[in-house]
Amino acid sequence: MNCQSRWRTILSNRFVLVPGVIAAVVLVWNIYVAMHNHGVVVGRVVDVNGNPVADATVALWIFNFTTYEEKEHVTTDARGDFRFSNNPSYKLQISAEKPGVGRSDRVPVFLYFRSQDVDLSSPLRLGGN
Amino acid sequence: MMGRYPRWPIHFALIGAGIVMLVPFYWVLKTSVSGENIYAYPPSIVPRHIHPFFYIDVWYSIPFARYFLNSVAVSIIAVVCNVAFNAMAGYALTHGFRGKNAVMLLFLSCMMVPFQATIIPAYLITGKLGLLDSWLGLALPQCSTIICIFVFKSSFDAVPRSLIDAARIDGLPEWRIIWHIMLPLSRSAIATNVILAFIWSWNNFLWPLIMTRSADMQTLPLGLARFLSYQEDTTGALYAFCIMVLAPGLVLFLMAQKEFIQGLTSGATKG
Repeated sequence: MNCQSRWRTILSNRFVLVPGVIAAVVLVWNIYVAMHNHGVVVGRVVDVNGNPVADATVALWIFNFTTYEEKEHVTTDARGDFRFSNNPSYKLQISAEKPGVGRSDRVPVFLYFRSQDVDLSSPLRLGGN
Repeated sequence: MMGRYPRWPIHFALIGAGIVMLVPFYWVLKTSVSGENIYAYPPSIVPRHIHPFFYIDVWYSIPFARYFLNSVAVSIIAVVCNVAFNAMAGYALTHGFRGKNAVMLLFLSCMMVPFQATIIPAYLITGKLGLLDSWLGLALPQCSTIICIFVFKSSFDAVPRSLIDAARIDGLPEWRIIWHIMLPLSRSAIATNVILAFIWSWNNFLWPLIMTRSADMQTLPLGLARFLSYQEDTTGALYAFCIMVLAPGLVLFLMAQKEFIQGLTSGATKG
């Protein structure tokens, strides 16, 4: 048995192959996590008609053991966009309000890992309640 | 004779029995990805709204990675020690020596003493050795198991004596006979030892509960108990935890099941 075929036999052994595949998946996942864990949460606030709302206050609530507590709040820009840049959690809620326009529901956001960068697909809608 | 009877009734019955056996596992898996309440009526067979967030909850709610590392380290120590010590003991029992029957009787009688009865002496000995709250201390009572000694003994008994005699004539010491001749011919016994030692160590709850003092040295079964005391709404997360604890043992068993079955049956079928 030459060297190449011996290596092929070793690598195709299920006791090497299965742990090797698992280790590779874990490695790839950890690299992905390291590249996407800056804690950035971005989204948009709109009114009931879908128009962007400027100067709305958006609050970030993070899961603290059994309850959610407010971590920080930011205000939206002229296009209704907001951005949190140091979310430490994997389980959060986001709410928005603006006097005279209304407030949104608290929207739960579940992330795949702590501080995952996320762009909220649907905007927070003010005047819902 | 086999050709006279159709096989499908046997296959049908076995498939039915297999499904019955697998339903609890399926139910745990289904609940872990959907969180559907187990008492919901009517029960849904197919999960709705599948998501992995219960697994993420488990990962971050407790120091899962630390518990996992502890369980892996303890299991590796237990497995390595089991294979080494049980092989040596099994090899000794294949030889004739004065008092062998007494040793066999002692082993068999010790199998009937439950671990709970010897846990206080085990704790005191581990304490005297200074191994409390350590990986080695966690693995110590499982470093050799009598059942696995007999698995090695039955496997070694099947090796022709002429091979051992030839090795002795060539001047091989006893430990090299075990390493170079007996163990390569007993791969199924090794697989049986590995799987049994791993599963017993992995699932052990009482010994780690007694001998660990710091939260950092706890293993996964203790983590499960701790997790249950933390969480209120546990249905999905609890089942996700169970899957995460079960998975390594299941993967190991699936990898080595052929050798495992051979190891368990080789002693029974030896002529």
